[in-house]
Amino acid sequence: MDAIVYTARAKAAPALGEPIVVARELAFTVASTAGEVNILRGVSFDIAPGEAVGIVGPSGSGKSTLMMLLAGLERPTAGTVRVARHDLGALDEDALARFRRAHVGVVFQAFHLIPTMTAEENVAVPLEFAGRRDAFSRAREALAAVGLAHRLCHYPAQLSGGEQQRVALARAVVAEPALLLADEPTGNLDLANGAAVIDLIFDLRARLGTTLVLITHDPALAQRCGRIISLADGRIVSDRRVG
Amino acid sequence: MDGALLSAPSRVRTAEAEGALFAIAWRFARRELRSGTPGLRIVIACLALGVAAIAGVGSLASAVLEGVRSDGRRILGGDVEVSLGSRPAPPELRHWIAAREGQVAEVVEMRSMLVAETGARERLLVELKAVGPTWPLYGEARVGGESAVFAALAPRGGLPGLAAEPLVLARLGLAPGDQVRLGEALFRVVGAIEREPDRVASPAALGPRVLIALDALPASGLIRPGSLVRYDYRIRLPDGVDPEGFVRDLRAAFPDGGLRVRTYAEAAPGVVRFVEQTALFLTLTGLTALLVGGIGVATGVRTWLQARQHTIATLKCLGAPARLIFATYALQLGVIAALGIGLGLVFGAAVPVLAAVGLARVLPVPLAIGLYPEPLALAALFGVLAAATFALWPLARARDIPAVALFRDEVARSQPRPRWPVLLVNAGLALALAGLAVAVAQDRRFAAAFCAAAAGTLLLFRVAAAGLAALAARAPHHLSPALRLGLANLHRPGASMALILVALGVGLSTLASVAMIEGNLRTQVTETLPGRAPAFFFIDIQSEEADRFDRIAASVPGVDRIERVPSLRARIVAVNGVPAEEVRATEDTAWALRGDRGLTYAARPPDGARIVAGSWWPEDWRGEPVVSFDARLAAGWGIGVGDTLTVNVLGRDIDLRIANLRLIDWRSLGLNFTLIASPGLLEAAPYTHIATVYAAPEAEVGLLRAVTDAMPNVSAIRVRDALEAVNGLLGRIGAAVSATGSITLVAGALVIAGAVAAGRRRRIRDAVILKTLGATRGQVLSAYLVEFGAIGLFAGLIAALVASAASWAVATYVLRADWVFLPGTLGLTVAACTGLAILFGWMGTASALRAKPAVWLRNE
Repeated sequence: MDAIVYTARAKAAPALGEPIVVARELAFTVASTAGEVNILRGVSFDIAPGEAVGIVGPSGSGKSTLMMLLAGLERPTAGTVRVARHDLGALDEDALARFRRAHVGVVFQAFHLIPTMTAEENVAVPLEFAGRRDAFSRAREALAAVGLAHRLCHYPAQLSGGEQQRVALARAVVAEPALLLADEPTGNLDLANGAAVIDLIFDLRARLGTTLVLITHDPALAQRCGRIISLADGRIVSDRRVG
Repeated sequence: MDGALLSAPSRVRTAEAEGALFAIAWRFARRELRSGTPGLRIVIACLALGVAAIAGVGSLASAVLEGVRSDGRRILGGDVEVSLGSRPAPPELRHWIAAREGQVAEVVEMRSMLVAETGARERLLVELKAVGPTWPLYGEARVGGESAVFAALAPRGGLPGLAAEPLVLARLGLAPGDQVRLGEALFRVVGAIEREPDRVASPAALGPRVLIALDALPASGLIRPGSLVRYDYRIRLPDGVDPEGFVRDLRAAFPDGGLRVRTYAEAAPGVVRFVEQTALFLTLTGLTALLVGGIGVATGVRTWLQARQHTIATLKCLGAPARLIFATYALQLGVIAALGIGLGLVFGAAVPVLAAVGLARVLPVPLAIGLYPEPLALAALFGVLAAATFALWPLARARDIPAVALFRDEVARSQPRPRWPVLLVNAGLALALAGLAVAVAQDRRFAAAFCAAAAGTLLLFRVAAAGLAALAARAPHHLSPALRLGLANLHRPGASMALILVALGVGLSTLASVAMIEGNLRTQVTETLPGRAPAFFFIDIQSEEADRFDRIAASVPGVDRIERVPSLRARIVAVNGVPAEEVRATEDTAWALRGDRGLTYAARPPDGARIVAGSWWPEDWRGEPVVSFDARLAAGWGIGVGDTLTVNVLGRDIDLRIANLRLIDWRSLGLNFTLIASPGLLEAAPYTHIATVYAAPEAEVGLLRAVTDAMPNVSAIRVRDALEAVNGLLGRIGAAVSATGSITLVAGALVIAGAVAAGRRRRIRDAVILKTLGATRGQVLSAYLVEFGAIGLFAGLIAALVASAASWAVATYVLRADWVFLPGTLGLTVAACTGLAILFGWMGTASALRAKPAVWLRNE
């Protein structure tokens, strides 16, 4: 991977010592034909600004649901979650959208790029909605930072899987969010591309000082985070610092 | 896979191998059809709608024409009708008919003023019909509740009876027993005309119908030398006598050119012509709906095949040749098309039944309800050709795309054009579709022009769509997010903008064109013409009363101008020796060879006359009879100065050499005559005068009373009433045409609905991602509204342009009038287009806004 040049920008952050994520007794239940399913059962934790937290656990343990709650894409059935001093439970749908574009970047396993937009357009979208006049110039910078300056006008279908995930990563960090959520970002990639993407994630995180929450099945990847929260059956079974 | 298919050399395909391939294709097709037709309902609906429109129009027209044919005797009032114009039948003709045991019903028709002898003595122009004791020969008439009409009209209390249409009784405030005046005679009102079986054969054109007994006519004093009266003799032949043979014998016995004879097979030629011309236009409008629906077929088939990419790719990977793929899906589409066409035929065949219920009071003749195979077969053939034309391209592309490319996304997949043989076949199918429309049309030139205009409009909108995409691609980046995203959606890969623009635009172009043409016609009738039209036409002014008429009319305050000319009725019986029925005339000029024409004579050309060929005769001309003729009729008949017209005047054939040609402006509503003869020949013939009087509107009532009180035999045609009647007719025609044209809009709506439904998943996914990235619902909605609003606005502007062009062409070349710009109609078109597009966009977007992101974003 070529050296990445990315201009760090000062970003307002929660007051020193105040957690960027505060979750208290988070619960999430869905109704099914077989009855209610408790996906999360009273999860509580704090995450400090700049931390890198790995969320691990078997399939069905509630990892992705937890990430959805932190991003404001789902509403908890019970409990509270505050991110960057925003009580997500008190925000309506539009307020959550504004919250996300200002404070949260999300990288999905399936990339979720808009197929009919070019790489440049995909990356510019969050800044456009924020009304930034420099959205496209910033997008070009972000793509250059992930090594895709030569792919600005390509559509997702014209990119490899690794390139698509790098575009998604550029999109997630272009607004310099306080919190970066990555849900199995290497799940659809081969080993080499996956490693490259992970290196990019951690590198960008270090440069921007972004808080990272990384969901992964890979224990080795989780070890790169400074802290690992293990989920099982909707509960935190361990929360430990590593390294 | 069948080894025969794989091993057979490509150039050596035995019939057996072809049969085996077809059998496999049919097997695969049946398996896929087992899962139903979820992706092809729009295809079925589009085909069904277009076919139903064409089948419905054809079936209804056939039902009307069959009704005319099968009920011809009743409609005509006899097996044969003999008319001598304004002459009664000579005794020898009556004897000839009687000798052949023909039963005769004599009918005399003319216009007259009916004056109520009660109250304010209101008066009304009526179409008077005097009938003999044997009338009607077929069918039943009823007046005042009695079917023995002649007896009901017999004198009581010294006054003969008179029946009138309910409109007359209402307008004049009459009730049974009241007295009215016709000419110089008083009549007793017996009641309303409830049934007049032969009404269609001799329709009441300028006024409502009034019925009296024939023997009461002389006392009215309305029949005078030169009066505009028509004598018809309806004949009922003995059983077994062939009417055609009777007519041949009659013409041979009486070769007099003034005799007009028709059998019951030609009972209502005007109705037949109207039905055929209307059916032509409505069929072409239905074809336009089918063309628009064809876009839906193409889109639906393409979407359906895209959903089967994996299946097709899998089959190809497993060794299926491209021909098998093509055959498999072509067979499925054939079944679907048959379903759609079948549905359309069922609905179309039911139209006569629905019309019999819904339009019974409007239709001039009763419908012959039944199944008419010919129009149904024609509609089915149109449906098959349209389905093949629009489905071939996507089928061929699915056939030709390499298997590996089918696994890529819609953006990356190469979209090759079909090979040139397919393009040729596609072009051939399109030409066959247009050719069929032209071949079966009564007026092939009109049909060809219509097809060209329809194709041109489709192409125009397609080009406009490309233009809009190019414009949108140049939108600057610094616009608001909603505006930029909305405009960007117009030119994204796979965008349905072109489809929506074409479907919406063609539909509204049709409706807007009808509205603009109707608006121009109405403006002519209600504004332009009345501005320069006279207040009245007065007819049947006897020569000895002419000067008195002038004095009476001039004495009424508010009268500006009086123009009066002698008037006779003449029938053109030959042109350069060729009998009138054999003259090759254009469709728009053939009318002058049918029926009587106005004839006058003059020493000087009329004021404002435009002579475009030849020259006027000297004032004292007494040489061979010459005539000034209508230049447009001459052009339509291929004749000119020096040619000869033979006209029959009061039973006498007169040859008139054309001395000059005039360009007549009929819109002036002045005293225009097709034929103006030189003086010296017609003065001795019995003629009346016709006059126009220009007066202020407030003077009309007084003028009417003054003239008709002093001269009861003179009839007055109030121009304002005539124009109002025309306006009303235009309104009804416009409504009928608009109703049919709206089918095109419905077809367009189906196409748009299909496009919106096809893109629904993509829109939801995109909306979810946008909301995840920070877009509020308002921003997402605004982007879609900008997208659809731009499409609608652009489509509306193009539709307004098309409607303006169409109405200009009709105004300039058909009406020969100044085109009128109607900003209200055009504005409504643009607004309707924009509103409809936004509505469709909203319907397709609402679910996208409600979608929960987590459901779409989960990995598990």
